[in-house]
Amino acid sequence: MTIPPHFAGDSLPEQPEVLLVDDDEVNLLLTSLALRDRGFAITEADSGEAALAMLRNWVPDIIVLDALMPGLNGFDTCRAARLLPGYENVPILMLTGLDDDASITRAYTAGATDFYVKSNQWSLLVGRLQYMLRASRTRIELERSKSKLARAQDLARMGSFDWRRAGGDGFFMSPEALRVFGFGPNDHVGLRVLLRMVPQDERRLLLRQLHEALRHASVLTTDVAIVLLDGRQRIIHIEAEPEFNEHGQSAGYSGIVQDVTDRRMAEDKIRQLANFDSLTGLPNRRQLLWRAERALEQARRMQHQFALLLIDLDRFKIINDTLGHGAGDELLVEVGRRLRACVRHSDQVMEGALESVGVRSHRALEAVGRLGGDEFVALLPEVSDDADAERVAQRILESVREPIFVSGQECFITASVGVAIYPRDGNSVVDLLRNSDVAMYSAKGQGKNSAAVYSPVLVGRGREKLELETALHKAIERDELVLHYQPKIDVRAASMVGAEALMRWQRGGVLVPPGDFIPLAEETGLIVPLSEWALREAARQASIWSQSFGFNDSIAVNLPSRLFERSDLIEHIHQCVTAVNVPHRVIQLEITEDNLMKELQNVIPALHRLNEIGVEISIDDFGTGYSSLAYLTTLPISELKIDRSFVRDLGITPQSAAVVTAIIALARSLGLRVVAEGVETLRQMEVLHRLGCGLMQGFLFSRAVPPEELVRWLEGTVLPRKANWITGASESVVEVERVVAGRPFR
Amino acid sequence: MAQPPRIVTPSDLDAVALARLHELDPDGRHGVVYRVMTAFEGSLVRMMTQLDAQRAPDGHASVVSGVAHTLKSSSASVGALQLSTACAAVELALRERPEQELEPLIAQLMACSEAALMSVRAMLQA
Repeated sequence: MTIPPHFAGDSLPEQPEVLLVDDDEVNLLLTSLALRDRGFAITEADSGEAALAMLRNWVPDIIVLDALMPGLNGFDTCRAARLLPGYENVPILMLTGLDDDASITRAYTAGATDFYVKSNQWSLLVGRLQYMLRASRTRIELERSKSKLARAQDLARMGSFDWRRAGGDGFFMSPEALRVFGFGPNDHVGLRVLLRMVPQDERRLLLRQLHEALRHASVLTTDVAIVLLDGRQRIIHIEAEPEFNEHGQSAGYSGIVQDVTDRRMAEDKIRQLANFDSLTGLPNRRQLLWRAERALEQARRMQHQFALLLIDLDRFKIINDTLGHGAGDELLVEVGRRLRACVRHSDQVMEGALESVGVRSHRALEAVGRLGGDEFVALLPEVSDDADAERVAQRILESVREPIFVSGQECFITASVGVAIYPRDGNSVVDLLRNSDVAMYSAKGQGKNSAAVYSPVLVGRGREKLELETALHKAIERDELVLHYQPKIDVRAASMVGAEALMRWQRGGVLVPPGDFIPLAEETGLIVPLSEWALREAARQASIWSQSFGFNDSIAVNLPSRLFERSDLIEHIHQCVTAVNVPHRVIQLEITEDNLMKELQNVIPALHRLNEIGVEISIDDFGTGYSSLAYLTTLPISELKIDRSFVRDLGITPQSAAVVTAIIALARSLGLRVVAEGVETLRQMEVLHRLGCGLMQGFLFSRAVPPEELVRWLEGTVLPRKANWITGASESVVEVERVVAGRPFR
Repeated sequence: MAQPPRIVTPSDLDAVALARLHELDPDGRHGVVYRVMTAFEGSLVRMMTQLDAQRAPDGHASVVSGVAHTLKSSSASVGALQLSTACAAVELALRERPEQELEPLIAQLMACSEAALMSVRAMLQA
């Protein structure tokens, strides 16, 4: 459709352009004068032929055409004009004589918009022209809005339809609606054809809905799944309103159809994303909380118990860190799959569907979900007692314990489970979750790979922990921390060759053992200032000892891996030793095997730099973790410390001797020193000695003692060679030297 | 103050029609009445010549009809109402009563044309 430029605005053109066609020059002149006088721009033509010639290059706003003219008369001119492109809707006013009825009819037939009986009452003519221009503009607007609507409907995959009760095929669909159903604009499609596109089960339901709507003449709103003729499945939204005749009787329906397949899929996707964990496909935190709230309502109403089991994987971080996040994710997926099998897991719970399923509908809430990270929750909507929940917890522990293949290798993982039961352990989901968390931590505290049911005593412990944390914050500034020292002994020479510094906390006259506050310090990050203090203090002590009895060895300080990752560690050690004027080598750093391997990549650069400035590195608790032997050969370390657990069993189990032997052999071939920890008996000392380890620590020699006591021990025991181990050692040495035939000890 | 132009109104031209003509150019600045009357005079002379040539029994009815149709409205516009009525009678007779004797009606039309021509010329000369 051509839209004359004048019609872009809301009002009529300022000076509408009129093509005036009349063969009579008097009429032409008069009409022209009259219209010009009233603001029209007039172009005159004295014949139909002249008018058509003009119209080929120009579109006036309106044409005024005399009906009877010699040559091409007004009717033929009108008919020819209508055939010109862009002239379909230009208003044409035909001028006729008053007594000329036949002409009036012919004018309309020829395509004239209106007729006007010639008169010299010019204002009437002007009024008529203005009316026609307004009508034409309205019509154009209507056409535009109609085509806009059609385009919008097309974009929205929407179309309209009408259905009339009376009279044959009373069903009509707009071209856009036909397109929604996969038909062309000229296809004739009846209601039956459409109904056949609905799968049988749904068709029955739809027909029932249609009959119901018809009977009550009510609004019809529904979504219907259909199968197009090409086999594609779509979901069509139907919305129809009843229409009534003048007697108030229902006459039919008119409405719209819309293809909402994409929207529905997007909604499903959104619902899925909002409620399910994308990695494991299990219900996520939001969905779990929703289910737990529903379970709580049901349990409250029906007065039964329900249980929340919080499941946390033990040592998951190690797998994630050593095998990579991809492997970690794989493991979570597998764990999720196993956990799901431990309960009567229901994936889908429709909101509002719970009431309809009956009294046991809350069973459908049962599920395992992922709270985040390596934390899962099992929701048991009804349990009769603790044992019920514990049985599930045990099933979960067993199922997780099974080896898991991740990234082509077998992994072993365990879980800790905390159980909280409504109403005993909490009256709200928040309370139950918190208390299952408390119970889970208690299970972890008791050695992991176990389940614990919540009890208020556990909270007491939690509170103690909080108080401990607050006090620990203030321990440094209050000077409550002290270092105790355990000597490292060279048994063969019966001399002290160094000491390990061990932190103690003097809290209100009580000495808190490291096991009670170091894990908390690690958890809260306080371990960083604590370790920095320990380095300072060890350097200071080395300086004091150096002056008092010529101490020339090193003091080993235990550091967590996170300290090695700090860029200022070297600088800090440097400051500590230079402040008290001792060489860097007086500080030795111990890192546990676990810690080292966990953060290997991040720690290696620091190890090299420390080595360069003379600070030696010792691997603590060696043999308990998962060391990569390949790495050991390249790491700048100086010492391996055999874990006390192997030393404890020496002489009791042959396996321990095997491990110790292996470690010693490994160390020897790598050129590393070996120190045995936890030596408590002469027998252990002798075996170690026999196996080739001459450096030891343990209660046999001395427990960790305050610095001044260590000096007293040296002066009272070692130097006078009074201890039982000194004689024992000398005898062992003879024996060992026989065994290893001249190989030097390190 | 300039005198308004004198309006000459011959007795056989309709005063109302002439007044409408004057309304198109109230102060006569554009000479509308003069232009219209001049155009009418020329048109009338041409039409009378055509009519005279075709009034014989073997003349073209369509020419007569065309002349009658054209003159019917233009004569009404300048106030020659008798001429307009005569034209309408001829047109009607041609369209609806083809058996009717046309000559008396054409004679009447010619007479009215003569009278109108004289009135218009008088007016133009005034």
